[in-house]
Amino acid sequence: MSSISRSLSHVTLAGRILIPLLFLLIVVAPILTVALAVVVGPWLVSVLSSNLGIIRFVVAITGVLLFSIPAAFIIIYMELKVIAYMNLRVGPNRVGPGGAAHSLVAGLKVLSKEDFSPANADRLVFTWAPVLVFLTAVMTFLVIPFGPGLVGQDLNIGLLYLFAVGGMAVVGLLLAGWSSFNKYSLLGGLRAAAQMVSYEIPLTLSVVGLILLAGTMSLHGIAEQQGGWFGNWFVFRQPLGALIFFIAATAEANRTPFDLTEADSEIVAGFATEYSGMRFGFLFFAEYVNVFIVSALMVTLFFGAWNSPLDINMAMLFLNDELGWNLQPIVVNLDPGGLGIGLLLLILIVPVALTVVFALPFYLTRSKLKAWQALLLGFALFNVVAVGAAFTLAFIGWDWVAGIIWFFIKSFAFVFVFVWMRGTFPRVRIDHLMGFAWKWLLPAALLNLFLTATAIVVVDALKAG
Amino acid sequence: MTTFTDPIGQHASEDDPRVMLDNQIGAFEAVPPYPPRTEREAEFYSLRDGEMFINMGPQHPSTHGVLRVVLKINGEQVVDLDPVLGYLHRGVEKLCENSDYHHIISQVDPLEYVSSLFMEWAPVMAFEKLLDVEVPRRAEFIRVLTGELLRVSSHALYQGWMALDLGGLAPILYSFIERDEIVEMLAAITGQRMLFNYFRIGGVNGDLNHEFMSRLGDWMSRAAQQHEANIGLLNENEIFVRRMRGIGRVDKDTALRMVVTGPNLRASGVPYDVRRAHPYSIYPELEFDIPVRGTGPEGGDSLDRYLLRLDEVGQSLKIIDQCLHAMPDGPIMARLPRLLRPRPGRAWAAVEAPRGLYGTYAISDGTDQPFRMKIHDPSFVNLQLVGLVMKGNLMADTMAVMASLDPVMGGIDK
Repeated sequence: MSSISRSLSHVTLAGRILIPLLFLLIVVAPILTVALAVVVGPWLVSVLSSNLGIIRFVVAITGVLLFSIPAAFIIIYMELKVIAYMNLRVGPNRVGPGGAAHSLVAGLKVLSKEDFSPANADRLVFTWAPVLVFLTAVMTFLVIPFGPGLVGQDLNIGLLYLFAVGGMAVVGLLLAGWSSFNKYSLLGGLRAAAQMVSYEIPLTLSVVGLILLAGTMSLHGIAEQQGGWFGNWFVFRQPLGALIFFIAATAEANRTPFDLTEADSEIVAGFATEYSGMRFGFLFFAEYVNVFIVSALMVTLFFGAWNSPLDINMAMLFLNDELGWNLQPIVVNLDPGGLGIGLLLLILIVPVALTVVFALPFYLTRSKLKAWQALLLGFALFNVVAVGAAFTLAFIGWDWVAGIIWFFIKSFAFVFVFVWMRGTFPRVRIDHLMGFAWKWLLPAALLNLFLTATAIVVVDALKAG
Repeated sequence: MTTFTDPIGQHASEDDPRVMLDNQIGAFEAVPPYPPRTEREAEFYSLRDGEMFINMGPQHPSTHGVLRVVLKINGEQVVDLDPVLGYLHRGVEKLCENSDYHHIISQVDPLEYVSSLFMEWAPVMAFEKLLDVEVPRRAEFIRVLTGELLRVSSHALYQGWMALDLGGLAPILYSFIERDEIVEMLAAITGQRMLFNYFRIGGVNGDLNHEFMSRLGDWMSRAAQQHEANIGLLNENEIFVRRMRGIGRVDKDTALRMVVTGPNLRASGVPYDVRRAHPYSIYPELEFDIPVRGTGPEGGDSLDRYLLRLDEVGQSLKIIDQCLHAMPDGPIMARLPRLLRPRPGRAWAAVEAPRGLYGTYAISDGTDQPFRMKIHDPSFVNLQLVGLVMKGNLMADTMAVMASLDPVMGGIDK
């Protein structure tokens, strides 16, 4: 905590405005929301229910903005810690348990630093370029489905929107590099432009085969088609496409081994060389938000999105059909009202009973423990079990809870792969990078498209005839 | 009554040099502020269409020490480059001429801060020749043993730096583990981890002790295995190999013409090693090979230089093993007076260091200080290759080629 308070004492003007706003958001906003819901709730519901589309849009944008910051924080911490262990180091371990609040304090530090712009820099462009970079990164969250029905806007041109918005990031990077009045920045910006424009083409072409198979460009629609078991994931029908997409997306996100835009052994920090304070923070966040987006896209398009690898109920039906077994699907009825008087008993008696039951072993085996201490321990243990049970029930009963959990497990598995690559690979050279995009990835993507189209025509003909 | 005001904010004027610096675009250029002194300088500092200067160093994340390289680039391509030296200049040779013979050992130590025993070895050997001292056999064995240990450590570090300059983050930390074990081991007998100040005229400063031997035994038990692991770390990495192969090629003739020594020469196909060509210490008694690479028409590139150092580590391990088995008992210092006054004369001594030939040429005038002392540093010679091989290559390779030549700036600026 001392580090947090120390950081707070150095906060500059921008920070003094932004931090109270953040607190306002965290503390006051929920209270106001509840009060509003109670007072004007019923009236509001009647008005809003006729404008659901707009509400959904606003909520989605707010949620996306609020989600991107913690996602970036987690990935930054993960990168520091995972690479540290790969390098046989300890990594951040000072702030919070295991250094978990490290990136939060780093964020505060960024807020508290001087907002410096170099002499001869183009001030206007220099100021707004990081915003553009950050905005394009965050905007892509809008169409990513986190669970069944949990998508900001289910655009029917979702994939096109993604590539269009993602392609705009290069403008921000180029402007940032150009406006800094620094040769390293300029080279970084130009490298970014060359790299992202080149890799945009194999990236887009690699999913055309998938679009042919899925018949839709809506990410929600693509995700829905991969349900059931993991054999339905598109990675098994589009392995080449998945590989090309993964490589090109790594280059699009400027990650190792394609991190030429910020190659520290060549051009110091690339386009970010002259940036400091929160403008640097925006560039930094954008980079990590991009990592999450690329991972999420990989999961959504090729690795079954929110679907679990094996749907238990579907597997049971399959076994019943094939082997003549008589397995009953697991159905959890999450309707507490159905319990009647049992609900009352559940709320009143179960906590007390379980607390005592959990406390007993502590009390009996540890002679120095007083009764109240044992009860406290028992209560803590009960809470852990209860929360776990509640999550398990929700996981089984509500498909969107399970969907979110599966989605994040898979996404962070891919984030881990990106971090792993960063800890392992050297950097490629710019001519190798370009040669690889144009000589290998582009023909491979075209071949993939050709094979997929041929296969679809052949299969359709076979089915018809 | 005086009032304190912000000189720039309140009284900014056209004459204020601080204000002008901000407005002068030329102030940020790499061009020196004086008219060209040589033809080469005039040619280098004039730009053709599409070219620009860019500074690599002295404050750059990846220069090895404080070296500044002015690159003239066209896009990503290096048209020409000009290394600017002198940021670490101490005037060591002059300092040595004003110190007595014992003192000189600590003066030359920091010139080679990665494997400093070799920098001590050459002057110590030269002074021994001046004084006609016979070094005890045990001291010679200890010198070879500690020297070869340091060669392993230096080459391990080289491997890590090489990867770091190509953007690989992990190998440098693995390298430092190996180096740390070796310097801890040497610290047990020398008391220092970096600048050992261990060799003395006529012997070494301290005998091998229990801690050193136990650490050495511990390390030797897995050194060969670690060596295999280091070979496997990057040798099959496609990105690494593609970036190293064919880059910074130095052919046999160029290497000989530029008087390159050490691993860089042997990687160009010339089997020259001071330990075999001009044997010193106990090296004639030891069995080891001189690894040579790059004998083919396409040899002498960065990859050859990298692989050759890995080969050398294997040979060093062999030498360490032999030293330990043949280590004789006896004194570690020759009997010498406190104040050394060699007869007037001159002596040259050279040792084979991880970077090449370290030589010392000392002239004695009969007093307790050398009249003149010249230090030959291989890094300085090897670094000149960068100007030859980098033209036409990409900017990203500048640091990689420089790292593959393994310069240490302490010795270059002296």
